[in-house]
Amino acid sequence: MAGELLRADAVTKRFDTVEALTSLSVDLAPGTIGLVGPNGSGKTTLLRLLLGLIPPTSGSLSVMGRDPQKEPLLVREQVGYMPEHDCLMPDLSGVGFVAYMGRVSGLPRETAMSRAHEVLEFVGLKEQRYRKIREYSVGMRQRVKLAQAIVHDPPLCLLDEPTSGLDPEGREEMLGLVAALARLGGRSFVLSTHLLPDTEGLVDQVLLLNAGKLLAAGPVAALLSSRTPETVVRIRGDVPGYVAALSRRGIEAKPQGIELRVVLPSTDTRPVFEAANETQTQVRYLGPSVRTIEDLFLSLVEETPARSPP
Amino acid sequence: MSIAAPRYGATSAVRLGRGHRTLAIVGRELRRRAGLGTWLVVALTYLAVTLIITINTEFASLIGQLSLSTFETPYASPAWPFLMLIVATSVGAGSLAEDVGNRSITLYLSRPIRRIDYLAAKTAATGSWIVIAAVGPGLAGLAIVLALGWAPASLVLTGAGAFVAVGLLASIFFTGLALALSSLTTRSLYAGVGIFGVVLSLEIGAPIVSGLTGNTTVAYASPITDILSVAQSAFGISGPYATDPLTSAVILAFAGVFLAIFAGWRISRVEVVGE
Repeated sequence: MAGELLRADAVTKRFDTVEALTSLSVDLAPGTIGLVGPNGSGKTTLLRLLLGLIPPTSGSLSVMGRDPQKEPLLVREQVGYMPEHDCLMPDLSGVGFVAYMGRVSGLPRETAMSRAHEVLEFVGLKEQRYRKIREYSVGMRQRVKLAQAIVHDPPLCLLDEPTSGLDPEGREEMLGLVAALARLGGRSFVLSTHLLPDTEGLVDQVLLLNAGKLLAAGPVAALLSSRTPETVVRIRGDVPGYVAALSRRGIEAKPQGIELRVVLPSTDTRPVFEAANETQTQVRYLGPSVRTIEDLFLSLVEETPARSPP
Repeated sequence: MSIAAPRYGATSAVRLGRGHRTLAIVGRELRRRAGLGTWLVVALTYLAVTLIITINTEFASLIGQLSLSTFETPYASPAWPFLMLIVATSVGAGSLAEDVGNRSITLYLSRPIRRIDYLAAKTAATGSWIVIAAVGPGLAGLAIVLALGWAPASLVLTGAGAFVAVGLLASIFFTGLALALSSLTTRSLYAGVGIFGVVLSLEIGAPIVSGLTGNTTVAYASPITDILSVAQSAFGISGPYATDPLTSAVILAFAGVFLAIFAGWRISRVEVVGE
């Protein structure tokens, strides 16, 4: 897919005294995009803006070249939306519900029904498709929500916390479904989540939000490689003393769990051992840090000044 | 559960317009409201109204006093608005409340439809059920007496006009009321209680206030009184009426439209995607 998928130009959204999004400017290409941030970071507000359900306070947006405020129906024809919360119609069967959502999206009756069978088979609900939704488990409900989002074959799917409420196995299966859909091609995804590990290995671009502000946006590989490389050091002994010894050598070290993240000025690792010798500590592990989106997010949050309360 | 083989692939299916999408909602809503309770009340209304019309017509023709007022009994009695009240509660209380309650309104409004399409579909479905119960029985009764040859076609035609006029007016009012009350809550039970509560409290309260204050215009606040005045007038019953029929008709129509607009305003305030 070529061309622009999502563009935001200085978008601000204010609800009374709360600024949910602050001067957001991004330009994302088609692909699988992780919309990542803690609860209350503005992810859902951004999804509402992209669907044209609320207007921005200032700034402008475009989804596949269309303004959601000026052409909301044309935008929504191109978008499939999977809400975070339970919003199903319990009196309908799985296939009846998905076919109905297809019809409300504009598919002819017969097409909607055949597509409903297809997508329910794809999401693993072939055997349960005639059961009433009220009888579905949480995992099945998440799957049927995904099915209704893709039934009309939209080029862009907005998935709001698709693994919400799922056990680890269900989470893996849901992420597997999204990955399988992404592999089919021809379709972009915005995966909104506060669970940063959900995005690892799945998304090729990321949009990191915190407290309504953009921390970073762009291709994952480029963002991860743009950061200063770190070395992971595990020691046994006096951690504060060891950190101070490294500091005296002009080396920054941050404890993270049982590890230390050390930024070495060069590939020379001798200062690590010199500091250990000085503080009588044992170096149990020394290796390059494998950076993840979570690492990137945490380091960006640390670098960003906290937002003052409204 | 395991992930099925991804047979699903992109298609280029034809997309139909807003009219089709809205009709899909109407169809679903009509079927959704076709519960046992609704069928029972509607069937009871048909049975009662057709029986009364045929029996009245038979007696009136026997004693040679067949006229338009022969058909007035079912619609000019308080039982009929009461049945309409039950129908409106049965089909309309959950119309919007259930969608907001189970948050399926999120799915509707994230689709390529406007809020007005959604509300129009809900109004059409609720209104259709009420029209079926409000207009249909009178027409069915007239069809029977016409088929039996108990009344001349010209009189039956005039009667049909009266049934349609009164039935539609009552339908407008009850549809608007049901939608408005349904938009105020997320529980259909509360909306149903509200519909009954509003109508019955106005029916009981208006005459009391009117009696205490000596202000007869307060009687217009009672929708059942308004409907009965219009019905009596439409079927040629001579006055005096409790209220002026024309004024009552205008009040009923205006109230119905206003309440539907109110429901639309309420739906426009619904948060579509919760945090």
